[in-house]
Amino acid sequence: TAGVKIFHFGACRVPVSMTEIRAGFTAIKANIQSRDPIRTLSILSHPHSLHKVKSSDRCCITHHLFTFYVDKVFKHCRTEDSFVNRKISSIANSFLSARRKLGQCREQNNCVCGEESTERFKQILANYEGLNVTSAAMKSLGELDILLDWME
Amino acid sequence: SGQLYCSLPNPRNVRFESINMKNVLHWSAPEGTGDGVLYKVKYAVYGVGKWIRKPECRNINRTWCDLSSETSDYEEQYYASVKAFLNGTCSDWMETTRFNPLTDTKIDPPMVSVSSTDKSISIILTAPEKWKGSPEEESISLLQVYPGLQYNVSVLNKKTKKRWFFSINNNTLVVPWLEPGTVYCVSAQIHVTTPLLDSGFSEEHCIATLKDK
Repeated sequence: TAGVKIFHFGACRVPVSMTEIRAGFTAIKANIQSRDPIRTLSILSHPHSLHKVKSSDRCCITHHLFTFYVDKVFKHCRTEDSFVNRKISSIANSFLSARRKLGQCREQNNCVCGEESTERFKQILANYEGLNVTSAAMKSLGELDILLDWME
Repeated sequence: SGQLYCSLPNPRNVRFESINMKNVLHWSAPEGTGDGVLYKVKYAVYGVGKWIRKPECRNINRTWCDLSSETSDYEEQYYASVKAFLNGTCSDWMETTRFNPLTDTKIDPPMVSVSSTDKSISIILTAPEKWKGSPEEESISLLQVYPGLQYNVSVLNKKTKKRWFFSINNNTLVVPWLEPGTVYCVSAQIHVTTPLLDSGFSEEHCIATLKDK
């Protein structure tokens, strides 16, 4: 289908509607990022950059991050703007179906979690828990392009 | 604490303008101020805790500052900020929105070269290079930055005004079964699906197919 990108993790194939997610995020990026006044902290990119993740750990980190966004981010990002809310739920739905597929990869043992990815994800959670839930969720949502850029 | 009281109106519309990742900060002068306003600039890597001054853009009277080398790592995101000074008073620091070089740059059209036989034309396309600080630096094609980069190519028969469109992934295209002794004009555009980025179309390059032998 147009705009769906297939990510290959070992024998596992995970379709993600990247174009739709990107378009949805681009439409709300300025709005969401303007709600995040903290310049000096990042959830995803500091102190460790996603770009330094070993390829063998990519599947596990991707699964962790999709679970993180579904369970800890989208649900805490309701705004007073219905347009923004609609875009967020559309992105969330795309994440839900991709996460389901990634879960199947894990069950088929195609998504092994090495020590490094476990450590890296712990750091991401620590960054998240260093802020109150709403601020942390809004900051994480504002960093969605960091995740998408890394995935691609 | 010796803090200057800042009553000057703020610089306006502070933003990055980026082409092929040549990232230049631009702004408009504060409202109602004539000549004589000076500015200074700082920038920050998003997620890192400090603002960094740009010495080459300290006490300048122009309203732009090239931050390309400071923002050349496109795996990072950035903020930049400008402060104005006039007659001993100053404005607040005025910031950009978060700048992501990968998604927020514009891409130039590709370079197009064409050759012809009697019944076909061959087109070679070259994607622009990412900005680099000096000629000695290694050239990076935007093809390396955007692996999903494609080309949209338009071919126009000048006589019949018939136009074809092609979408190709590699950088060469041969258009066969053409009329001998006819002028064809070629124009091309870069298309990146995600992140969604499109260049404009290049200028038209016209060439005549050889006459029948």
